[in-house]
Amino acid sequence: MGPNENERRVGSSGPVPGTTSGLAERILRLLLAYWPLGPLVRRVAHIRASVHSKLLGAFLLIAFLLIAMGAMGLRSIASVAHQSRLLDQARERVDATRQIEHALGLQMSFTRNALLLRDDATIQSMFRENNTFRDTFERLEAGAGSEQRETIARLRTTQDKVMATVGRIAALIREDKADEAMTLHLDEGTPLYREIATLVTRAVRAEEAGMGQLRQGVEATYRRALLLTGGFAATSIVLALGLGFVISWSFILPVREAEGFLGRVAKGDFSASIDVPNRDEFGALARQMNEMSRELHELYDAQRRAAHQLRVLNAELEQASRAKSNFLASMSHELRTPMNAILGFTEMIRDGLYGEVPPEIQEPVSDIHTCGKQLLGLINNVLDLSKIEAGHMELALGEYLVDDIVNTVKLSLRSLAVTKGLDLVTTVPPDLPLCLGDGKRITQCLMNLAGNALKFTREGRVEIRVEPRGESLLFAVADTGIGIPGDQIESIFEEFRQADATVSRDFGGTGLGLSITRKLVELHGGRIWVESEVGKGSTFFFAIPVRVTREAAA
Amino acid sequence: MKTVLYVEDNEFNRKIVRQLLTRTSYRLIEAVDGEAGVTTARDAVPDLIIMDIQLPKLSGLEATRQLRADPVTAPIPVIVITSFALAGDEEKAREAGAAAYLAKPYSPRELLQMIRQLAPES
Repeated sequence: MGPNENERRVGSSGPVPGTTSGLAERILRLLLAYWPLGPLVRRVAHIRASVHSKLLGAFLLIAFLLIAMGAMGLRSIASVAHQSRLLDQARERVDATRQIEHALGLQMSFTRNALLLRDDATIQSMFRENNTFRDTFERLEAGAGSEQRETIARLRTTQDKVMATVGRIAALIREDKADEAMTLHLDEGTPLYREIATLVTRAVRAEEAGMGQLRQGVEATYRRALLLTGGFAATSIVLALGLGFVISWSFILPVREAEGFLGRVAKGDFSASIDVPNRDEFGALARQMNEMSRELHELYDAQRRAAHQLRVLNAELEQASRAKSNFLASMSHELRTPMNAILGFTEMIRDGLYGEVPPEIQEPVSDIHTCGKQLLGLINNVLDLSKIEAGHMELALGEYLVDDIVNTVKLSLRSLAVTKGLDLVTTVPPDLPLCLGDGKRITQCLMNLAGNALKFTREGRVEIRVEPRGESLLFAVADTGIGIPGDQIESIFEEFRQADATVSRDFGGTGLGLSITRKLVELHGGRIWVESEVGKGSTFFFAIPVRVTREAAA
Repeated sequence: MKTVLYVEDNEFNRKIVRQLLTRTSYRLIEAVDGEAGVTTARDAVPDLIIMDIQLPKLSGLEATRQLRADPVTAPIPVIVITSFALAGDEEKAREAGAAAYLAKPYSPRELLQMIRQLAPES
């Protein structure tokens, strides 16, 4: 993997959090790519242990190293202290040995003085140093090596001989045998002194050699301590850096991998899967992410299939809808064409286009016309309902006056009301604003309700009321008719329903009018309801917005 | 004498207009489908055309559009007879270039009124 590829990979995985500079990033990438750090990072990632344990392990390892370094240091200090003690002892022994030499020198000089002066005080002083010798020998023997002990033993022997000689010299002096004393001093004393001097020198040399070795030992210990400390410190630093790098990258790599992976998933690429060597929390996370991606992929596929099916279905529905729409258009035309002929011819007969109509023919001609109109009304209702069902009913929005609508309805139904002997009353407040909606359709609604009211009322009155209600107009049609039983009020607005099957026998009608009215009201974004009491009458209400917008029209 | 062309495939409806115009000074020519309607209009150049919206071979709207596009027939006013089939029929009629429209079933009285308005009897 070359550096360029690294660059591309970094680039493709998007902005990396925590990237301080491109150069540092590149160096890290190179380290990972070319050093054995890369495999090491993967191996650490592969360790089956939690992130917590890995970090704790690394910290404990470094802490152990520092503790070991401290222990080694303490050992060195103890060793140096021991050697210093030995040095001190050797130095003491050297001092003691020199003291012996010195004391011997004094004794010799006292002896010489005694030989010359021959007085008792001087002779006494010859023995004064003997006690010093005894103490000194004891001090020498304590802590001396085996070689030293031999020299010390010989010193002690020689010293004893010197003591004996000094005693004999002192006795000879007291006996006034000065010449003999002198001879003894020269023949025995002096060689003994020389021997002691030689022994002392040897002892001192030996001690000094020992001291030299001790000093070297101390220096060696010191050097070793220095090296060990340095080594431990360097190892700790390298280990801390190495472990820090390896462990942190064993976390960073899967995180980056996950980042890139999630980026691809977010862009809708579900083919990728995340592959990390980690067997810790990051590994678990990666497995979960792969699982998630698989689930998403399946969901995505399912959704795509569903969308495709929907599209197919939609196309089929559209085609069916078009077919239905064509059928409706053609049906409407086909039904109206003969109706046109029937009503047209009847009108022309009545208008006298074919000459004067005989009085006995006038009534049947009028009946044909009335029935033709009725048939047309039925056809219109069926077609309206079909249009609504097919979703082809569209409102022709325009401005209208409520007065016009109410008057149209009143004019159309007045003759029927008069025929049945009913009062048809209208109440419209004078200050209603210009409204927006499909005036023809609203007229149709009011006509249906008022027509029904007249149809189902045998005596009394029918009232059409309009009231403004905030942003809505409330239309009410009240009658004093047969009323609707409570259990049938809910179903009254459904197609082909009349409150009672016997009703259609008594009053006629298909039951389409209310259903169409409800749907037209709903198209205007309004609602319709009824309040009724059997035997007393019904009041139908519908409320529509004063100004119907395309958005409000459902 | 003004000439009126009625394009309608139903014999009985043609008969209504024929009888409606017998006592007037209008001369009626007839066509039974959209294509024939366009051809007859080009040949005879009538003063007024009554066009049913749904016709064999060529729809009334398309026939009207073709007549409006032809400089010879463009000035002739067209009354389109709609069927109230679908919302927007009237708009479509107007867009196709109809001077007026009448919904089926129409009243012969109203049709005559409209004819007199668009092509006054000389």
